Amino acid sequence: MSFLCVRPRLRRSIFSGLSLLFAAGLIATFYLPSATGADKLTIYSGRSERLIKPVLDAFTASTGIQIELLSSGTTELVNRLKAEGDRTSADLLITNDAGSLELARTAGLLRPLNMREIERAIPAQFRAPDNAWVGLSGRFWIVVYNTTLVKPDQVKSLLDLADPKWKDKIAIPNSGSEYLQAGVSVIRATHGDEKTRQFLQGLKTNAGGQVYQKSSQIVDAVAKGQVPLGIVNHYYVYRHLAAQPGAPVAVLMPDQQEGGMGAIMNVAGVGIVKTSKHLDSARLLVEFLVAQAGQKLFADLDKEYPLHPDVKADPALVERKSFRAAQVPLTKLAELREPTLTLIEQVGLR
Amino acid sequence: MNTVRQQLASPLQLVALASAGIILLPLCYVTVQALSADPVVWSRLWATRIPELLSNTVSLAAGVAVITLFLGVSTAWLVARTEFPGRRLWEGALVLPLAMPTYVLAYIYSYLLGFGGPVEHLWQLAAGPQARIFSPHSYWGATLVMALDTFPFVYLLSRSALLSMNVSFEEVARASGVSRLSTLWRVTLPLMRPSIAAGMALVVLYVVSDFGAVSLLRYQTLTYAVFQQMTGRSDNTAASILSLLLVGLALIFLITERWFRQRSRFYQTSGRYRAPQRHRYGWFGTVAVITYLGLIVGAAFAIPAALLIQWSFSPEAQSTLDGRFFGFVWNSGILAASAATAGVLIGLPLAYLASRRPTILNLGCLQAAYAGYVLPGPVAALAVLVFFSKLAPIFYGSVFILLVAYVIHFLPAGLQSLEPALQQITPNLEEVARTLGLGIRDTWRRVTLPLVRNGFVVAWVLIFLQTMKELPATLLLRPVGFDTLAIRVWMEASEEYFQLAAPSALLIVLLSLPALALLVSRDWRAV
Repeated sequence: MSFLCVRPRLRRSIFSGLSLLFAAGLIATFYLPSATGADKLTIYSGRSERLIKPVLDAFTASTGIQIELLSSGTTELVNRLKAEGDRTSADLLITNDAGSLELARTAGLLRPLNMREIERAIPAQFRAPDNAWVGLSGRFWIVVYNTTLVKPDQVKSLLDLADPKWKDKIAIPNSGSEYLQAGVSVIRATHGDEKTRQFLQGLKTNAGGQVYQKSSQIVDAVAKGQVPLGIVNHYYVYRHLAAQPGAPVAVLMPDQQEGGMGAIMNVAGVGIVKTSKHLDSARLLVEFLVAQAGQKLFADLDKEYPLHPDVKADPALVERKSFRAAQVPLTKLAELREPTLTLIEQVGLR
Repeated sequence: MNTVRQQLASPLQLVALASAGIILLPLCYVTVQALSADPVVWSRLWATRIPELLSNTVSLAAGVAVITLFLGVSTAWLVARTEFPGRRLWEGALVLPLAMPTYVLAYIYSYLLGFGGPVEHLWQLAAGPQARIFSPHSYWGATLVMALDTFPFVYLLSRSALLSMNVSFEEVARASGVSRLSTLWRVTLPLMRPSIAAGMALVVLYVVSDFGAVSLLRYQTLTYAVFQQMTGRSDNTAASILSLLLVGLALIFLITERWFRQRSRFYQTSGRYRAPQRHRYGWFGTVAVITYLGLIVGAAFAIPAALLIQWSFSPEAQSTLDGRFFGFVWNSGILAASAATAGVLIGLPLAYLASRRPTILNLGCLQAAYAGYVLPGPVAALAVLVFFSKLAPIFYGSVFILLVAYVIHFLPAGLQSLEPALQQITPNLEEVARTLGLGIRDTWRRVTLPLVRNGFVVAWVLIFLQTMKELPATLLLRPVGFDTLAIRVWMEASEEYFQLAAPSALLIVLLSLPALALLVSRDWRAV
């Protein structure tokens, strides 16, 4: 009898013990992160975690400042910063696209910086006039091709890819990708809307179902011979080659012909969020990223073109001086964005 | 007048109204945003995306429905009406695919069927080195993955229909000289129709609202497009328009199913129930049956699970099992537990009032809570996002709005077990307790609660399980530092780092198994 009486009580105490534990965990999870954090930075990052985390880990190792990383889409993070307003916990915004940074700056989300380190390290064309955002690494929107399926002289310009002879032979990123949007903006600025529309229509037909979420998948598909050509940022190709030397992929730097527009360039960059409460740590991070050591990490780990004039790119890359870049200022990418999106939508790119 | 005031006065009533409000208001906001959008946006979407998206979504749902109909009914019939060695084992094994989230199965199949993948190698051995198989990143790939993942819904409902069916109908047919096949076609299958329809409705709603598989297989459906619009555009107008279409589509499916079910209601004479006889085949038939079931379970669960285990023990995957990984486990657990607790607490007053005081107001509140049924994850996220950024921006970017999205999304699953639990206790029991001198609170504690406890547990487990697997809303709404296991799977898998995604995926599957056992074992209902 007494046994029967004890069990429910025991069960109840186990149950309440468990609920207490749960409640404690809840409080710990939801409130402690904001309580600690004297030496902690929160970063909204639109770059793939794989590309940015090693660099940030190096920063943590050298300064002891912890970093909380939220990786997501660039546009989505800018939307989020806008919606969160003053209450955001973000200290820095890192993106894969200068246009998005410029949009964030014009929306008043970023903090102008007066730092000699920046001005010394990064040429003026790669940062905002008030240094509210700073470019960290350069990337080119190039054609990747399978060396067994395509001869490099078959494509001169990105616009050639709209030719019907490449039907079902091109892999492209989806239209939410900020590089694609920036690339189309540059083509519009150079060639005008009508020509761009024809290009996009041809590209859409030629790509068919080969529309990818991630550039790494495009390079993978080209390397396997699933599709002969693709449009990606250059470093995905070199990263693939570094992991799998001898893969049949190569970079074709487009639009270098006489009178051509030049290769489309964009930068990944960083800005300090206006409401950041950890300004000193945030400035330390920016300083770290633009300094030679930080720039070298982008060059070595990510195979991007460092923007610091004294830091050399990875020797495997096409020599930077050997090709021309398109002459559209990075800050212009912001104002070009909306009409570009409309055009992309009208054409019906996925 | 008096009754109205009484109703409003009850605190429980206020809780129910508030819950219904928090569920319906975000949806209304999205609807308003979509309807008040510039007609230019509408016409542009009509001209470019909507026809493709609608036809893709509908044809995917149709294809999956046909395949699950075949797989589900045939497997149910085999385990319910034939006898073969290990039958009980197969009976359970056929449910296992439900433990695989669609994004896990999708990423495994994009490896298996992918260009230069193992299946293609096998096929090339047979058909020559240049032979190609269909790409998993296509209509057929998406259909196959979704069908393998969802056929257990049809299987479970068909099986229980076959087991509870009064066998005398069939015996009468056989005695009147109708052949066995014809009996199946003219008597058994028509009797199963309501269950099959209910199973397929579940499948279709699941397919229409799926995000994980279609995003990894790059198949454009409305749900996927809503997500892309939300992440790739700076305003949500187009996303709201597509959401509205999606909700409309899901509602049409749901209403059609209800209508069919009402038209075909069967009454059984219950007194003379006898278990049906199980047919025994010869050794050849037995081998064929086991091979058939083995192929299905292998494709939908065993092979994927084996691959996950193999990948999880690869050195690449092992190196990710650090403190960070356990942080993701903890995040998944704490979010799912909070959502489940909130869901049960919110669902209880709704279900209780609707069954005890079925006024129009109370029933309306309950129906409102079922709205989550037709809200795919990205739409729930969008609704919550739009609503909170307009009305209560203070919560934006906090765990709170993620939990609200979970509750909106998964409350229907919880209500489905809370409602019957509350309905099965008659008010008489409570009234007896009261007349014997128990106070209101004691009556609750000692009579009502023990009676509904199992319904509670099942509802909690269901919401917990679904929240743990949830992907799109978590992707869109998670605060800083709240990556979950599902997010890790998706992030790694979407860049085709199959090994790195495996430990998280395997853990999700393993955690789902006991919950699945709890749900399918009949003992829980009986206790």
